[in-house]
Amino acid sequence: MKTLLKSSYLAAIYLFLYLPIIVLMGLSFNDSRHSLLWHGFTLHWYRALFHDHDLWIAAGHSLLLGLLAAIIATCIGALAAVSLYRYRFLGKNILNGLVFLLIVVPDIVLGIALLLLYNQLHLTLGFFSLLFAHITFCIPFVVVILTGRLSTIDRNMFLAAKDLGATEFTIIRRVVLPLLMPGIFVALLLSFALSFDDVVVSYFVSGPEYEILPLRVYAMARLGVKPELNALCSVIFLVTLFAAVGSQLLGRKKA
Amino acid sequence: MKWLLLLSLLLSGVVHASEVLNIYIWADDIPAEVIHQFEKDTGIKVNIAEYDSNETMYAKIKAARSSRYDIILPSSYYVERMAREGMLEPLDTKRLSNYGNLNAQFIKPAYDPNIPHSIPYLWGVTGIFANRQYFDPEAISSWNDLWRPEYKGQLLLLDDAREVFSMALLALGYSPNDTDSAHIKQAFDKLAALKPNVRVFAVEAAPSIINDADATVGMVWNGDVYQIHDENANIDFIYPKDGFVIWSDDLAILKNAPHKANAYKFLNYLLRADVAAKCSEYQGYATANLAGQHVLPKDMQNNPTIFPPASTLKHGQFQRDVGDEVLAVYDRYWQQLKLL
Amino acid sequence: MKPDTYFKRFSVTVVSLWLGLFALGAFLLVISVSFLSHSNDELITGPITLANYAALADMIYVKIFLRSLLLAGSCTVMSLVLGYPFAYLLARAPEKIKNTLLLLVIIPFWTSSLVRSYAIVALLKAQGILNTVLLSLGIIHQPLQLLFTDTAVMIGLVYNLLPFMILPLYANLERFDMNLVDAAKDLGASSWRILTRIIIPISMPGIMAGCILVLLPAMTLFYIPDLLGGAKSILLGNLIQMQFLSAHNWPLGAALSVVLTAFTGILVLVYRRYSTEQDRQDFV
Repeated sequence: MKTLLKSSYLAAIYLFLYLPIIVLMGLSFNDSRHSLLWHGFTLHWYRALFHDHDLWIAAGHSLLLGLLAAIIATCIGALAAVSLYRYRFLGKNILNGLVFLLIVVPDIVLGIALLLLYNQLHLTLGFFSLLFAHITFCIPFVVVILTGRLSTIDRNMFLAAKDLGATEFTIIRRVVLPLLMPGIFVALLLSFALSFDDVVVSYFVSGPEYEILPLRVYAMARLGVKPELNALCSVIFLVTLFAAVGSQLLGRKKA
Repeated sequence: MKWLLLLSLLLSGVVHASEVLNIYIWADDIPAEVIHQFEKDTGIKVNIAEYDSNETMYAKIKAARSSRYDIILPSSYYVERMAREGMLEPLDTKRLSNYGNLNAQFIKPAYDPNIPHSIPYLWGVTGIFANRQYFDPEAISSWNDLWRPEYKGQLLLLDDAREVFSMALLALGYSPNDTDSAHIKQAFDKLAALKPNVRVFAVEAAPSIINDADATVGMVWNGDVYQIHDENANIDFIYPKDGFVIWSDDLAILKNAPHKANAYKFLNYLLRADVAAKCSEYQGYATANLAGQHVLPKDMQNNPTIFPPASTLKHGQFQRDVGDEVLAVYDRYWQQLKLL
Repeated sequence: MKPDTYFKRFSVTVVSLWLGLFALGAFLLVISVSFLSHSNDELITGPITLANYAALADMIYVKIFLRSLLLAGSCTVMSLVLGYPFAYLLARAPEKIKNTLLLLVIIPFWTSSLVRSYAIVALLKAQGILNTVLLSLGIIHQPLQLLFTDTAVMIGLVYNLLPFMILPLYANLERFDMNLVDAAKDLGASSWRILTRIIIPISMPGIMAGCILVLLPAMTLFYIPDLLGGAKSILLGNLIQMQFLSAHNWPLGAALSVVLTAFTGILVLVYRRYSTEQDRQDFV
């Protein structure tokens, strides 16, 4: 009985998370440009989507950007979380404050601030300006998630490791990192999601030659979401779903 | 190795293609087909970046040390502002052999009165829509009619301070570009009385809200009504007899454009009658290109929602830049209105 | 120097350089803008002034702030109530499927939030999916007017922010030692006592992390309330955006952000003061 209750709670939340996706997949077959009600079945939007080469180029750009941003942000964020948790150093409170600053500051302010900063640095707007921006706004999320995880580690473990003669690097590698691993996995996935969906910051730091998907999607939604976008999102969703579930299944077989 | 190859491939946007043009336009405002044809004809690679409001476009161009965009597509009141601030290149019309195709009505308009800094591309008006299944469109002829108590909780208003205040100012008999703060205050009081009738403020989502009858009467751009006409014939567009705002989106070359020669080629291409007609048909908005207008499909040419007769059009006024001080007054009342 | 500190030096340097440049550097620019003026032709110009801060002493901004705080606060509470049991169950799920379940929480967020929000609009419309289903099942007889209401805004916000609550909670609860619960049970503690005296206190850092990640972004989010709530109200996010974009008043927008940051900074500081006292031992 109790298990049933638990399972149905989990199922209900998953339904809540997936219902809009199911709806948008349905709408991607909807034979209407300007309505969110059902007007009949069509494959028109998928045809349009596969002919829209610019969109695919933008999607490729976003994929690369998201992967790099997620990996680098997770590395820097993990270093930050460990340093803030484990060490005492000059300016520690300032670093702590900067992490919160990045969460508090509205996207538009961060975007404009980075644009002003890039002006000062004479950095051309394009791939790198986007990458630095994305890494920056992902870092605080990584730090918060990993700090939440670190706080559960029993500090006596470090003392024990030290007594046994472990160097600091060994402690990090052998004790902290394995414990952090699930958190790092979550942080990577979340960072990628943040990068792949960011409009406001990217808007201000992108250049003419490097168009990315969220900007294109946002601009295309100007006159209401085109069903073509629903088709695009359905494709992205299915690809990620299969890739993710597939990798999980594969991973389990090996193990 | 493979990675490097992929990386360079993805970064290749930055590389080569000796002839380039960077355009920065309203999303989806120039059909991809038209741009590809230009690329094919001239060998110039066109990079497209898009924006969703004049304000964001302006903020980015103004703030970036060098935005590297060549062509932009601001609305009339932003042409005025940007030309005044020296951000736009004065156009040499001799380099535009198709310039004569333009409708004389749109040459030297009030917002760009001397040497042209802009070429009008598409234009439209802000008027009233009514869904015939719910309300009789015949009963509505002016902005003032929207204040009727029977429309309680029904109205769609555009989520734009200037548009909404223009409506109230026109209803009061003032100019939509009024800068007198007493008049703006009056407009605010009038709008405060309208708030109970408002169901939703929207811009982007407006076509689907209107189409799905989530709002059944309100403010709208004429092109939106024209576009949804195929799917929902119950929506009527009304030109308010107390006046209305005309806006246009205008092509302009930025002062520090890196590829000016290509920009002129592109402008001249867009001024061709057949190209102008294609753009107009794609967007469902009127073209300012008279030669282009004449080659549009007949039913669009003769559609009074898109191309109103001169007797109607004379009640329209261009939306103008009012300057930041007056804008601040509008914005403040706008905030109060939303907080009511 | 001791080789032991190489790692410490490396990691502190990398983090300080990055955050120093891209967070502190950028924010110092915002602070300096907030003390400047603007003119009709220039977004930022001299002279140096305090006028932007003086302008903030205005009831209308206080009202907007309180409204945003209320909305963000209720959204945080809702997310916590929905997310905590979920994260707990997830953390207790069999090892085999745990990662897959977690992955399934994040996957929806890899598709555009804007497009997903439009899908929520399609669900909630007067003639939308929810109403159609409920009407045809005979559960209701009149279509529910959900779209463009506060309920719709809350649904949209919670939907978009729930993972930010679930993920830190999960990361924290996953390490939770179930033996503690068993021990307490053996000692005769009731389920309620176990929950309030053991589980919740131990997961407090996770709860706080989740609340911060939900509350702070919710304060300045605006396009979800605009789309689902019909833009009938004005929130902090709208206000700041308005200053930077339509009003061309960057100094005022900057001042607004500085004050907002300072205020939330104080909130966080107060929390930290009271929470970190217990674990201040064993630093290298």
